[in-house]
Amino acid sequence: MAGLVKSFNIKARDFNHAGEASISVQSLLKSMNYNPKLIRRIAICGYEGEMNAVMHGGDGFLRIEIDSDKLVLEVSDSGQGIEDIELAMQAGYSTANDDYREMGFGAGMGLPNMKKNADQIIVESEKGQGTQVRMIFFIKEGDMPA
Amino acid sequence: MNGKQHSTRFVGFNEDLCTGCASCLRVCPTKVIRIKHKKSIRIVNQCIGCGECIRACPAGAVRAATSDLQVLEKDHVAVALVSPVLYAQFPGIMPKDILLGLRQMGFQHTIDMSYFLEMFQFATEEFIKRNRETRHAPWPLISPVCPVVVRLIAFQFPSLMPHVLPVLRPVALMAREVKRRIIPFYMETGEEVALYYINPCPTKMDWSNLEPDNQPTTPEIALGINDIYPTLAGHVRRIRESDAIPFYQTRFEYETCATGNASMWAMSGGEIADMDIEKSLAVSGLEETISYLHKIEMGLFQDIEYIEFRTCREGCLGGVLNVIDKYLAKSSVQKMIKMFGLGRRLPREKILRLYEKGDFQTEKRPSRLLTLFGGPQEGISIESMQKIEKLLKVLLGRDCAACGAPDCRTFAEDVVRGNASINECLWVRAQGKKKGKTL
Repeated sequence: MAGLVKSFNIKARDFNHAGEASISVQSLLKSMNYNPKLIRRIAICGYEGEMNAVMHGGDGFLRIEIDSDKLVLEVSDSGQGIEDIELAMQAGYSTANDDYREMGFGAGMGLPNMKKNADQIIVESEKGQGTQVRMIFFIKEGDMPA
Repeated sequence: MNGKQHSTRFVGFNEDLCTGCASCLRVCPTKVIRIKHKKSIRIVNQCIGCGECIRACPAGAVRAATSDLQVLEKDHVAVALVSPVLYAQFPGIMPKDILLGLRQMGFQHTIDMSYFLEMFQFATEEFIKRNRETRHAPWPLISPVCPVVVRLIAFQFPSLMPHVLPVLRPVALMAREVKRRIIPFYMETGEEVALYYINPCPTKMDWSNLEPDNQPTTPEIALGINDIYPTLAGHVRRIRESDAIPFYQTRFEYETCATGNASMWAMSGGEIADMDIEKSLAVSGLEETISYLHKIEMGLFQDIEYIEFRTCREGCLGGVLNVIDKYLAKSSVQKMIKMFGLGRRLPREKILRLYEKGDFQTEKRPSRLLTLFGGPQEGISIESMQKIEKLLKVLLGRDCAACGAPDCRTFAEDVVRGNASINECLWVRAQGKKKGKTL
């Protein structure tokens, strides 16, 4: 059976509403009674991805695909893209400008945090072409809705 | 859980007064209320006792499930457990006069919370200090003081349960002290002792689930501050008008001992203001609390050690069962702090010894909390969720609540769960008529 797909828009540089897409995903998964620990991992990944899109991306979306064996979280933006993906995956590496750092962002932990919390992560990006991050969470015993 | 009862553990609905305006539906954070057939209330989920429905109801049809003052006439030794929020209801009046008023009302003992608030503060500081080394608990730790917050976490943010500080709440410490010392005192005479919690909110004393099992033999009764206020105010006025110097005789040191430190607890930020913690925050209001819990769940605030949450705006003095305006109450607290000053009276070493003995430890069992409230709602399957999404496209999405559910999504969930019919939606019915058929 085809999975359930829900998509939420992300607006570039809209810090007032940043995090809301991720919260919508959390609420959806909570009403389906997924394991709290799994939801927490997805919450962290969703937020980090959403913040990346808000800061560096053009407009984009956060998308969740729910299947019986796995959940796929995708953050997609049409922004500046990542020049060196390997470098961006390193803890502490950041291209955030001073304004963002002053706001408390730009610690260079976004992608590393997403990698830590997802079972699998695929980053696709090209300079000027936007970025797509796909994170896969496999459903293990105990993660399933009760 | 589908019941037809008109009350939850914390609030009751009066259908005769209800006008079916749906104000309560919209403010309920756990979406427990439905209105069927214009004004018949149904409770479908777990109520956390926040009291927002009481605040929102313009018809006065929602009441806290507190007891009637007449229970005081019963033949037992009545012990009043007094929250410092009560003092804030009497601007310019000394706490000792208020406690005397309570005794004139028929309470044999009046227990002031100050001692237990200090104990809690010492224990919390100690736990946090040690946690810097051990990291047994994750930052930020969340204050266990507001029971609505803890229930909100148990039901809607279960992944945050490990963040709740595992220290017994001041109210629990206070009740335990009464059980350890006052009840044995009356055991000899064979008199029954009853505990009266005098509360600013409808959350009652529903804590047996989180604390070591206490003796079920002691009756415990919740009274709202608004329940006792008219009678108490009369006594306080007469005490103030009388020329005689009030005569006090109390048997236990904590029967009269209000401090500035304790008064401050009625305000948002009062719990942490005097605590020796490096980084802490105080957040108040239900909406803000929910928004910050979401942020913690998403991994924010890991550099903060402790967060004090109160679901009532401005803290407990914003509780729905208070009598005077919350800002007047706040100003009265500020005066008290000026008058009494800050500072603690309990010796730190003594509390530390008790801490070593594990005297403040609590157990956290969210699963037990859930079963106590009738178990978690059944999860929605992938197929059902697809049906819900499809339904949402048919509904208008204005969240008008005319169907009796708080919003379109909840209505769609109810329909898919089989608890509502799609034709209860006005928009769907109107569309059906236009097309000359029913959807």
